[in-house]
Amino acid sequence: MEVNIIGEALKFMLLGMGVVFIFLYIMVLVIKAQAYIIEKYFPDKVPAIPTSSIKDNDEKTRVAAVIAAVTEFRKNKS
Amino acid sequence: MKVKQIFIALALVFFATTMSLQAGGSEQGATVPDAPTQKSVQKPYESKTMSELTASFWQTTGINAIFDLNDGEKTSEPKGVAYEREMNWFESSLGRIMMIIIAFILFYLAIAKNFEPLLLIPIAFGGILANIPLAGIGGEHGMLGIIYNMGIANEFFPLLIFMGVGAMTDFGPLLSNPKTAILGGAAQFGIFGSLVGAVAIGFSLQDASAISIIGGADGPTSIFIANRLAPDMLGAIAVAAYSYMALVPVIQPPIMKLLTTVEERQIVMRKGRKVHRLEKLLFPILVLMLTIMILPESAPLIGAFTFGNFAKESGVVDRLSDTMQNSLINIVTIFLGLAVGSKLAADKFLVVETMGIMIIGLIAFSAGTAMGVIMAKIMNKFSKEPINPLIGAAGVSAVPMSARVVSKVGSDAKPGNILLMHAMGPNVSGVIGSAVAAGVLLSIFK
Repeated sequence: MEVNIIGEALKFMLLGMGVVFIFLYIMVLVIKAQAYIIEKYFPDKVPAIPTSSIKDNDEKTRVAAVIAAVTEFRKNKS
Repeated sequence: MKVKQIFIALALVFFATTMSLQAGGSEQGATVPDAPTQKSVQKPYESKTMSELTASFWQTTGINAIFDLNDGEKTSEPKGVAYEREMNWFESSLGRIMMIIIAFILFYLAIAKNFEPLLLIPIAFGGILANIPLAGIGGEHGMLGIIYNMGIANEFFPLLIFMGVGAMTDFGPLLSNPKTAILGGAAQFGIFGSLVGAVAIGFSLQDASAISIIGGADGPTSIFIANRLAPDMLGAIAVAAYSYMALVPVIQPPIMKLLTTVEERQIVMRKGRKVHRLEKLLFPILVLMLTIMILPESAPLIGAFTFGNFAKESGVVDRLSDTMQNSLINIVTIFLGLAVGSKLAADKFLVVETMGIMIIGLIAFSAGTAMGVIMAKIMNKFSKEPINPLIGAAGVSAVPMSARVVSKVGSDAKPGNILLMHAMGPNVSGVIGSAVAAGVLLSIFK
């Protein structure tokens, strides 16, 4: 009787581990397929443009601020 | 001398209160006929002598309730009075004291050792409240009982927690290195391996399934499953699951070190590719679709999880995702902790099964860790890119605790080797994996 129950538990294990692995494996495949499709049809424009432009603007405004500060400082000095 | 003074003062206060109680009591007796709907009307008040009053007060003190071994006190059951039974002498006296001491140990772990204080403090305090004699806080109309019925008995709180965890999770690391998801699957061996063990030591299949889910190291999932498969053991299972989650930094490192060589621990992993925003946005939907097709039994858990994550990644409902990952999850954690704590009542916790549950839980958890590491070693052998076997240990789903532990062990072996991001991949896939495992177990007993 007891052997039987352990056998059942082993079957659960096979089924469970099998399903978990299959599920995660399909998930991995789907992730890869998704990445491939997205890279192909939606190349990294969406995030690339805003981040780079923000960075750009940031840099420009910083440079502008530095220039303004320097001229102000020189003006005060002279 | 001082003791005597204090004693006299106490006695005076005591008499004053009983006198005023008597006065109040007689007043009440006079007004009772005017309010026949009140419950207290059932018995007309009879005059009592001072000694009777004192004696009846003594009957209601905690000291008496704890030291009177045969007072026939009833257990508190959130399901209602019909489920109450009389406590035996151990449960109503020594058991309570032991459980309160256990609660203090949990306080110590939470405060001094900083083990998951967010969980342990509410659980331990709930445990003290549940062990107070006569107050019935864990009963149907007590605070803990109300909270229990509100969200544990119907599996609601675990789902809310999952929603919050989903809103906090960043799938980026997993998406950038998808094959690490397999490690999150390997760690689920802890669940099924210990299922066999639990059956072998005499638990029924259904109980064993509920216990072994502790190996997933996922408190909400454990509660969810225990409620469906073995509601009687819910308390012990929840406490075991949460205490092992809290003990991740203690349990995991020795196993990880045992199974890996120093060279393996020093492996530096390559930085993952950059993940497109659309991938992150679509991922929760994909997982949900997979769940719908393969395993609808897991849908409550994974549905809540992916909803939280989708709200976060959509980027347009920051208010909602912010609520889910902060206020909502905090509120639910308070409730969940207290309600789980209510199962620390001596009459429910100090039973033989608890010992078995704690042991099986520990084995399950260790086996999961070990299997994750072994799987990572195998992958490292066959993969072109190097994989540090340590990240396999993060396949148990205690997010983000086990990923942090992995990172720490990794940087101990080689300073500057940060594995955190690489460990997050198996870690979040472990959450999905244990939800899937839970769904499989549920589907078996449907």
